[in-house]
Amino acid sequence: MTSFQAPAWSVPVLIAAFVIFIGLVIFYVIKSRGIRRPLFAMPYTAWVALFTVIPCLLIAYYAFTDAAGRFTLDNFKSFWDSDYEMNRELIEMGMDPAELGFGRGTVNVDTLVYSLWMALLCTVICLALGYPAAYIMADREFRLGATIVVLFIIPMWMNFLLRTIAWMSLLEDNGLINNFLASIGLPRLRLMYNSGAVLMGMIYNYLPFMVFPIYNVLNKMDLKYSEAAMDLGASPIKTFLKVTLPLSLPGVVSGITMVFMPSVTTFFIPRVLGGGNTEMFGDLIERTFLTANNWNVGSALSLIMMVLILLSLGLLRKVDPEGEGEGML
Amino acid sequence: MADNNVSRAEYVSMEEQPRLITLNNISKEYDGVTVLDHINLYIRKKEFVTLLGPSGCGKTTTLRIIGGFETPTEGTVIFDGQDITNLPAYKRRVNTVFQKYALFPHLNVADNIAFGLKLKKTPKDEIARKVDRMLELVNLSGYGKRSVESLSGGQQQRIAIARALVNEPEVLLLDEPLGALDLKLRKEMQLELKSMQQRLGITFLYVTHDQEEALTMSDTIVVMRGGRILQIGTPKGIYDEPKNAFVANFIGESNIVPGVMLKDELVEFCGARFACVDEGFGENAEVDVVIRPEDIVLVGEDVGHLTGVVRSVLFKGVHYEMMIEAGGILWKVHSTTMEPEGSRVGLSVVPFNIHIMHKMEEANAK
Repeated sequence: MTSFQAPAWSVPVLIAAFVIFIGLVIFYVIKSRGIRRPLFAMPYTAWVALFTVIPCLLIAYYAFTDAAGRFTLDNFKSFWDSDYEMNRELIEMGMDPAELGFGRGTVNVDTLVYSLWMALLCTVICLALGYPAAYIMADREFRLGATIVVLFIIPMWMNFLLRTIAWMSLLEDNGLINNFLASIGLPRLRLMYNSGAVLMGMIYNYLPFMVFPIYNVLNKMDLKYSEAAMDLGASPIKTFLKVTLPLSLPGVVSGITMVFMPSVTTFFIPRVLGGGNTEMFGDLIERTFLTANNWNVGSALSLIMMVLILLSLGLLRKVDPEGEGEGML
Repeated sequence: MADNNVSRAEYVSMEEQPRLITLNNISKEYDGVTVLDHINLYIRKKEFVTLLGPSGCGKTTTLRIIGGFETPTEGTVIFDGQDITNLPAYKRRVNTVFQKYALFPHLNVADNIAFGLKLKKTPKDEIARKVDRMLELVNLSGYGKRSVESLSGGQQQRIAIARALVNEPEVLLLDEPLGALDLKLRKEMQLELKSMQQRLGITFLYVTHDQEEALTMSDTIVVMRGGRILQIGTPKGIYDEPKNAFVANFIGESNIVPGVMLKDELVEFCGARFACVDEGFGENAEVDVVIRPEDIVLVGEDVGHLTGVVRSVLFKGVHYEMMIEAGGILWKVHSTTMEPEGSRVGLSVVPFNIHIMHKMEEANAK
């Protein structure tokens, strides 16, 4: 199933990059007359270049070329109209797709909108669940706080595929929950293969990423601020609204970033818990690459996703100008 | 220590003021460790009271109990005739200036000052007027729109005071508010605080470990150690008549030597007999003798009560600090004239400057 064919120019480009890198190292050693500390950063620079920058450039390259390597915008048209290629072929064969009853294929755009919606829901629910949890855990008088932090961490030691599959055995028609319901005489429920189950799985997987940044900020927050607020006449509720909450915003921004980004690109969870009924953008990209075997359209989809994520990061930056949220990334 | 009925007669005007805060038998324990041990204290209206002591003496805990941030394990806090022991902090008519200011970093200077007023639903124009007046009072007019993090330590400190004072509290609690400032600024702020307190007529309860600060500003000083009050009195009263060797040593510098009170007005130490003015210790009682370094007079070798050798000389600006070995003891002597190292000198003390104290019970004072 591998259809990956590196473009013909990639080998000389890699060789050129390697030569430039070695050249830079030598230039630096000569210029600073010896081996200085920044030189040790070179391997990391090379690593990042090789495994982050070059793949990104490759994605951009594929997104703007067709199977023959020619420049084209068709891949983005395929995003807007998932049947674009098929319709084009029909036109080339002298047929009118509209006459045949084929219109614009909306699958790709719909999936993206659905993914964004699910990610938004997941983020909002994680925030609603995670903030109070973090607040309670960070309470100095609540002695179980540290224990609960560990309890939150332990599931993360397991692979997320495993954790998701574990939810199956809970939610299945013959799963634990339904068996329990049946044993007390209640009707069995259809818990799996719907958006709710997918959302459940996402929240379960991403909740810790909301809790920990908020917990960190609250836990480190100096008690003096809330004491000062109380001293100035603020009731406990006012103290929370006017001091604790605003001061914990960097943690909230961080948490939102860390939940929203993986949520949008979620894959596998919808397939396992949603059955065939739901598909999210991550799955769509995977399917386009591996099943439809179309690296060019797949890259275009990935590129759109990356741009969306960058845009939302930019938006968050406006809320959190000091960029404390990004320290977690 | 309920026996601290130290006279405050020196401040007659203070005596006329009613008692505003009374601490009755306050004790505080943390996990079985006693931090405050049956404290009794009253604070009069418009009084400037300083809690003075080394770190861990319980002075900050006392302040926090009055502020409402801690509840005493035992005892009651009376404010203006009402028991406020269990009243939460936000319902008390006191405001606090915290040690590290605790200015809200997400609010600008004006919003920090307005915080308390906004909670009381004060009209907007009145808030603006009061904030401006406060900024003027602390000499920071025009700083309202600044972020608090852009201010220097001294400026932040003034804002913290303004934020507390704008609420017109009956008592202002100050927890080592000048601790983070450099010496020069600290001295300026001491005078400013004192004059502010006198102008506004507000009761100040001030916590510090700096004895000089306490002497400069206070009407009344409360010396604390190990969760107990050792002495309450005016700055002059405490400096001149420290109750025990600890207070003597903590307030100013002191020479403390063991001695024997032979009879009233006669004490023996370092093998010599000295006339003094203290009475009532009984005969042949073991006592501590306290002599301030500036009270030792250097005289000719043969004329003094004691003869000694100068071991070291330090120039301190206004005076020289000399360590002089005499009678088997190294005496600290302050003098404006200098005797060179190694020279032999006579030491003399007038009876009035020899302070006799009961031996301190070490167990009692930790």
